[in-house]
Amino acid sequence: MATLPQLIEEDIARLDEELRELLTQTDATTALVIDKGGFLINSQGDARQFDLTTIAALASGAYMANQTIANLVHETNFNSVYQQGEKFSMFVVCVDEHCLLALIFKASVSVGVVKYFALPAASHIAAQLQIAQDRDPGAGLDLSELNLADASEVFKKKP
Amino acid sequence: MAIINQATKELQVKIVYYGPAMGGKTTNLVQVHDHVQTAAGNKGKLVSLATSSDRTLFFDFLPIEAMSIKGFKTKFQLYTVPGQVIYNTTRQLVLRGVDGIVFVADSQYEKMAENVESFTNLDENLKTLKLNLSDIPYVLQYNKRDLPNVAPVEYLEFLLNNRELQVPSFTSVAHRCEGVFEALNMITRMLLNKFISQGSPQYA
Repeated sequence: MATLPQLIEEDIARLDEELRELLTQTDATTALVIDKGGFLINSQGDARQFDLTTIAALASGAYMANQTIANLVHETNFNSVYQQGEKFSMFVVCVDEHCLLALIFKASVSVGVVKYFALPAASHIAAQLQIAQDRDPGAGLDLSELNLADASEVFKKKP
Repeated sequence: MAIINQATKELQVKIVYYGPAMGGKTTNLVQVHDHVQTAAGNKGKLVSLATSSDRTLFFDFLPIEAMSIKGFKTKFQLYTVPGQVIYNTTRQLVLRGVDGIVFVADSQYEKMAENVESFTNLDENLKTLKLNLSDIPYVLQYNKRDLPNVAPVEYLEFLLNNRELQVPSFTSVAHRCEGVFEALNMITRMLLNKFISQGSPQYA
C-alpha cells in the first residue's frame, strides 16, 4: 500500500493556514485532516469539546464504509459524506488517495456553504501533500531521536 | 502505515486484534483499557461499535499514548475486527493502514477450524490491500486457556505457526488479563524495531 510523504514543519504550517482559513470562511467549529487508516494528521479550531482522535478513527471508518457501498451500487466513489445533527453536523470529503478533510460545524450553519469552501480547500491540501511527496518521494523514517532503552515493556500493567 | 510526524515529533501506530468470532479480541482491549498504567490523559476512551448483544459490529477502538519511549510522542491505536464471517468487508476496512497484528485464537478444540479459517482470511484480506503477512509484524495469542477442552499449545502451533518464519506466541486468559500485556508488548517491540532497522518509506 502506498504511503503518504513525510511532512515537515513547512507542510504542517501550510495545512494549519488552510484549515484556519476554511474555519473563517465556513464558520465551522473544527477542521481535521485525517488519514484514511484512521490517524489524525492535523486539526484546527475547537479541540477541547471533541475527542478528535476518536472522531478521526470513526470518521475514516464511516467514510471508507460509504466507499464500499458506492462500489456495491456501481458508483466509482461517494466523494463526500454529510452527517446532519441537531447541534453539530459533520462533512467529510476526500482529499487524495490517503487523506480526508472533515469539518464539524454547528447545525445552524448551512451545509451548502461548508461544501462550497471545503472542496477547494481539499484541493489545496492535496496540492501541499503532493509538494511533500515530490520533495523526497523515497524519504525514509527519521527516528534517530527515538530511544527504546526503556521500552522493553512499553505498556505496564497496574499492580 | 504508521504516521511519523517529524514536524510535531509524533509517531502513530495502528495495531489490529484479529481472530475468529468470540475468541476474546474485544476482551483484550477491555483488559488493556482497565489495567494499563498511563500518565493522566494518555489513555483515550474505549469505543465499541457493537450490537445490542455486545458482538462487535464494526470495530473496537482504544487510543493510548506510551510513556516509556523518549524522543517521540508515541501514540498507539488498538483496533479489533468483527470476527463473524459475514463481516469480511468490515475487516478489510479496519486492516487499512495496519502496522502490527495480534491474532487471537480460541484454544478450544472445536474452534480449530474457525481459527484456521480466520488466519487464512487474514492473509487473503491483507493481499487485497497489497500487503503481505510475512512483511507485517504479528504475534499469536492462544486464548481461553482456562477452559477444560483446550487443545495443546503444540497443536495450535502446528496449525497457526507453521510458516517459514515462526512468530512469538502467547497463552492467555484474556478475561483475567493473563497474557494480554505480554502479547501487546511483544508486538509493540517488534514494530518499533522494524521501523528503526528498516527505515521504510513512511510519512507525515
